[in-house]
Amino acid sequence: MNAYNRMVIRQRKWMLYILAIAVLGWGFTEYTQIFQSLMLGLAGGFYNLFLMQKKIDLLGERVSKNEKAQSLGMISRFAVAALIAVISLRFPDQFNIYVSVMGLMTPYLVIMIDFIFYLKDTSTSTTKRGE
Amino acid sequence: MGALAAAIAVGLSALGAGLGNGMIVSRTVEGISRQPELRGALQTTMFIGVALVEAIPIIAVVIAFMVM
Repeated sequence: MNAYNRMVIRQRKWMLYILAIAVLGWGFTEYTQIFQSLMLGLAGGFYNLFLMQKKIDLLGERVSKNEKAQSLGMISRFAVAALIAVISLRFPDQFNIYVSVMGLMTPYLVIMIDFIFYLKDTSTSTTKRGE
Repeated sequence: MGALAAAIAVGLSALGAGLGNGMIVSRTVEGISRQPELRGALQTTMFIGVALVEAIPIIAVVIAFMVM
């Protein structure tokens, strides 16, 4: 298992933890509108993250085999964001647009924090300084 | 007027993201084709770059739909 696959598993794990917290908040607190908006945003964000991880893995695999690479799927991710925005704006009694956008942006926060904590794992140099 | 504002917001942010993504992907492809054994680390760096580049256009799409 290379560094990329390890990172993918870590990020999916943290996204599932956050999604579980949102579900628990929806079930056990009075802020149902806030938490269901968060769940909607997190679901879209998680799908975006999954799509990005899959597409980049596919691209790396194709390139290493000297085959033609496909697109990165940017339009699909924009479409998911648009769908979340439309659902939130269409049903303002059930969903809060600001919280949905926070949920949609959570994977990027997870990626940045994961990158800071596992900076050593992503290093491309095989020799250490001073060797 | 709202539709025009939305179109400009999405179009310009997608243009920036496209240029940024193109630069990141071209360098990564070059790196992987030179050293295929570094694929994992290069893919990780590329993933973080793509994620950072795409965060802003996604917010722009949402803002465009709010403006409309």
